[in-house]
Amino acid sequence: MKSRFFRALSLCALPVSVVAASAAAQQTGRVATSATSTKPSSGTAAQSPVGVDSSRRYDSQALRFEARWGSADIKRGTDGVAVGTVGWFRDFDVEQLVVASPRAVAEARSFRKDNFRGSLAAVAGTVTLLSGIVVTSNSSNNAASPVLIILGVGGVAWGAQHLQLGYSALSRAFWWYNRDLSR
Amino acid sequence: MLRVPGILFIVSCALVTQATAVIAQGSNYETRALRIEGHHGDTRIVRGADGNVVGTIGIFRGVNVAQLVAESDRATLEAKRFAHDYGPGTVFLSLGIATLGASIGVSHINDVNRSITTGLTLAGTGLIVYGAGRLQNAYNALERSIWWYNRDLK
Repeated sequence: MKSRFFRALSLCALPVSVVAASAAAQQTGRVATSATSTKPSSGTAAQSPVGVDSSRRYDSQALRFEARWGSADIKRGTDGVAVGTVGWFRDFDVEQLVVASPRAVAEARSFRKDNFRGSLAAVAGTVTLLSGIVVTSNSSNNAASPVLIILGVGGVAWGAQHLQLGYSALSRAFWWYNRDLSR
Repeated sequence: MLRVPGILFIVSCALVTQATAVIAQGSNYETRALRIEGHHGDTRIVRGADGNVVGTIGIFRGVNVAQLVAESDRATLEAKRFAHDYGPGTVFLSLGIATLGASIGVSHINDVNRSITTGLTLAGTGLIVYGAGRLQNAYNALERSIWWYNRDLK
């Protein structure tokens, strides 16, 4: 009787341990992030059901960005509280914001690099283009004007391309950060 | 005594179900969550960690975002806002660029009334600013739509 009881017990425990181990492996990163995160409700996390807690965490912590005439406001949670602004030569530290997720930090670094290059090239291109237009309108026979216009358009296009790459990286950074929130 | 293994089995099944739900939730986001990425002037909606493209939004071409995020009511609402602003935004922006181009062309014609050039330039600039504003509203609605969709992934 005793052996039957323990055999049944071990059979019941096997699937639990397998699934629990798998769940733990998947959740390790998230638990680590929740430990480093500044979320005040982490104390209640263990007491509340997983689904409710994850939904609440996403509701209050998940990030997105919204454009505002050349800049982008970084917003958090359902209320859309602005936590910073990125854009032309703005020095908001996105890496620090998403520090809880290593993949997000890598993308944020990529954003910083491309945003700076893009801003610089776009501004330089615009100035060159405007100079070309001014030279053309003042003296149409000046040989430098087409060169300035072509260089300017090239600079603006190159800058726009890098700005686009930058914002794609920012989108990925927030995607990974939101993914690594305890869900 | 024989009832104990039965109870244990039921308890273990309940635990397995809950743990499976946790795994499913994680993999759901990993495989189904959306994001926006730019690609040579177009906007791509990509899905999951692999970044599979599920739709491309560009000049005069779009994707039915409302259908894509139909599982979430809030996301669908924002997707409708996107659709409401995107079309007019593109049209006004294009008209503005064309008007500005026309004003540059007219300015090169001799003996043309200066007020025509000025009027065209102002109209073109106004249309561009208005169109860009509508497009900005559209893309912000798209961002919110995707945010809500990802949030409501079960």
